[in-house]
Amino acid sequence: MTARSRLLVLSAAVLLPATLAARARAQAPSPPPAVPVLDAEPEPVNDSEGYTPPTEGSGAPSPLSINGYVDVGFAHAQGDGTSFAPGDTRVPLDYGVDTFAPAVNSRGDVASTDPGPGRTLNGFLPRSAGIGGRPSFLLNTLSVDLKYTAPGAPLMVFSRVAFLPRYMGVDGDGTRVVVEQAFGRLVPFETQELALSVGKFDSVFGIEYLDNQANIRTGITPSLIARYTTGQSIGAKLFYRIHIAPLWSALSLNVAGTNSGNFVESLQPPDASLTGTPVASGRFGYELNAPVLQAKLGVSAMYGPRNDQFDRTATQRVYGADARIAVAGIYVNAEYVDVHEGPGTPKTTSLGAWPVSSGFVARGGYVQLAYALTLDLGPLRKLTLYARYDRRHAWFEGFTPITVERFTGGLRLDLWDAVILKGEYLENREVAGAPTVANNVITSSLVYSW
Amino acid sequence: MRARSSRWLTSWPLLAAAALVSPAPSWAAAPASDTRGWLGEELPLPLAVRTAQDLAVKAAAEKQYLIFNLLAGGKLAWDAGDFATAAGKWEALLRVHGLDPEIEKVIHPLAKEARSRAGGKPTTADDDRPLAPREPAAGGPPAALLPPPESVGRAPTSSVSVSGTVSGGGALGPGGAVVWLKRAGGDTPRPNPAHGKVVTQRKKAFIPHVLVVPVGTKVSFRNEDPIFHNVFSLSKPNDFDTGLYKQGATYQQTFKRAGIVQVLCNIHSSMLGVIVVVDTPYYAQADASGAFTIKGVPPGDYQMTVWHESSSKPTEQRLSVSPGGMRGLSLQVAGDKRPPQFVPDKSGKPRQSHIGY
Repeated sequence: MTARSRLLVLSAAVLLPATLAARARAQAPSPPPAVPVLDAEPEPVNDSEGYTPPTEGSGAPSPLSINGYVDVGFAHAQGDGTSFAPGDTRVPLDYGVDTFAPAVNSRGDVASTDPGPGRTLNGFLPRSAGIGGRPSFLLNTLSVDLKYTAPGAPLMVFSRVAFLPRYMGVDGDGTRVVVEQAFGRLVPFETQELALSVGKFDSVFGIEYLDNQANIRTGITPSLIARYTTGQSIGAKLFYRIHIAPLWSALSLNVAGTNSGNFVESLQPPDASLTGTPVASGRFGYELNAPVLQAKLGVSAMYGPRNDQFDRTATQRVYGADARIAVAGIYVNAEYVDVHEGPGTPKTTSLGAWPVSSGFVARGGYVQLAYALTLDLGPLRKLTLYARYDRRHAWFEGFTPITVERFTGGLRLDLWDAVILKGEYLENREVAGAPTVANNVITSSLVYSW
Repeated sequence: MRARSSRWLTSWPLLAAAALVSPAPSWAAAPASDTRGWLGEELPLPLAVRTAQDLAVKAAAEKQYLIFNLLAGGKLAWDAGDFATAAGKWEALLRVHGLDPEIEKVIHPLAKEARSRAGGKPTTADDDRPLAPREPAAGGPPAALLPPPESVGRAPTSSVSVSGTVSGGGALGPGGAVVWLKRAGGDTPRPNPAHGKVVTQRKKAFIPHVLVVPVGTKVSFRNEDPIFHNVFSLSKPNDFDTGLYKQGATYQQTFKRAGIVQVLCNIHSSMLGVIVVVDTPYYAQADASGAFTIKGVPPGDYQMTVWHESSSKPTEQRLSVSPGGMRGLSLQVAGDKRPPQFVPDKSGKPRQSHIGY
């Protein structure tokens, strides 16, 4: 072995282990880096765990709440307020009233249903404010809500009593006390979104019942189809909802069995069941509750005996579809209904006997667009501009179909947390089947809530 | 005229900074004794306050005075070879809210150098941000913190407690009232965020019903009900929306701005809670009897605010906290506000809670 060879072997003997060791070090998992020691941010010296009031006893929220509102307004309807065209002598006159009837307040009262001397109305009538064509101040509604939430039990009892001036009779000047709602709601299962209500309650049909009070409705007057969907009745209802969290969505079902349907009639209060057969109604809904977009869609149906008939074979049937979309302060509400009442037998109303109960058909709907601007200008909390388009095509069997449309525009101001001021203009157009009549309306409403 | 004054107020420290730091070699030549008479030691400044404008002028002047003294005091310390003090003053200067970027640009490397020469670790990246003074740790020294204006140039003032009782609040009583203090005529220290704050949804209620947290706190919303919940708020600028989440899931939301945050559930219209976000470290929440204690308050003048769910407006009053603290304060909140008749859904549309959906 030469000196050079010995040097190579020696180098290899020295370097190989070093090289292998270095490779082994490179392949071995590196030790975890030293965790930097950071100065912990000190906790606030005044940290609080929060406060929850007791459920019972001193300092507990009252299980009973009393709320309500007073709705006063000023309205002016064109003409004589009836929408009867001069010289229109068709009978029965109230058929015309139903289809024209421009509302003047949040209850949907028309300015007048007075047909003039020598003619009588009976049948299917809207309520009347009785002001005719005279510009008038109106006391529309005094409404009181009582809500009792049972401590420690899944039970809530609610009642809404409305004092309605001029409600009695066609053009009465009395005040009627109406128990609009009185029900108990039980949520029997903590694990399910299921609620059972028994008593007198709002309709489950469509969406307009959700804001069918002056202190919650965007505008003043109800839609042209509100008379077919917003009546209260007595019975039982069940609400069930299931959520689809990944889709920010929910499906809901609301069904009711009641003494009568959801029509609003001045002559036929819906409390009594004339046939003993309940009216079934329901709505199936889909909700999308995305962060910037809220959309709610639904289809509704109602079927059962007519409200004004002792004969259960005289039926009413209503289908409907609705949509609500809210995005960036813009609200779009739309609803469509298809109403069919079969012919009935002679009936008796609060105005007496009526020899005929014609079949009735109505198809109509509305689209409402509203823009709400939240403000903090002194007492002004919110300003809302709104516009609605209504259209209704309706006829009593054997009579001429009448098509009307209505354009409604208005402004709403929310002041403090207790006052709402609204102004609204309704332009009513007779599209087909009836002579044009002056029946536009200017109306306003001042609502005090407590 | 007002604009000119404002520009003058904000630009003169910059001129001073430029004059102080531009010829670096000349620093060493400035004898410390020259500072007497021009480097102020005392705050508040003896400026008369008779009007709101006077108060604003005084506050602005004191802020600039503070900036100048930290700037110049740091340089004097540097000149004297006291790098720890120099670093402390300049680091404090860099935390002043609204500091002129030019001053920050000049001082930032010097502060790091001073800290390095002092043998300490440089300030962290987080601390590099210009901030209002931080809340001191409980019982700890306010070492690296900007001293309150009143104590510039003095030994740190010991903090005291302010305690008392809230009464009123209507039928709900005073429990849950939130009391907080902010400095009158000066910057209030920025509070440290609280940790581990949780609001649970249990039996279709927010628990706690009212929670007070300092700005920057991350609150966890935890669903303990066997049904889905949502949490949202329309209270700007703290509005948020959690989406739907099931039992056991938690959503976190950081509250970055001060204000009253009404917390609601888009599914259950009966659920309502409140988070009070405060931008001061001096706050407390009254217990069921109305008793409260705010700890760690440096003596001085404060604006005190009392918020209660049942009051339509917060109660506000001035308060002078003496070195001995304050006990037995008697505060009153009105009970003139009732729970809302309607609560909005997350699009802002009111809901009738008796309907239940």
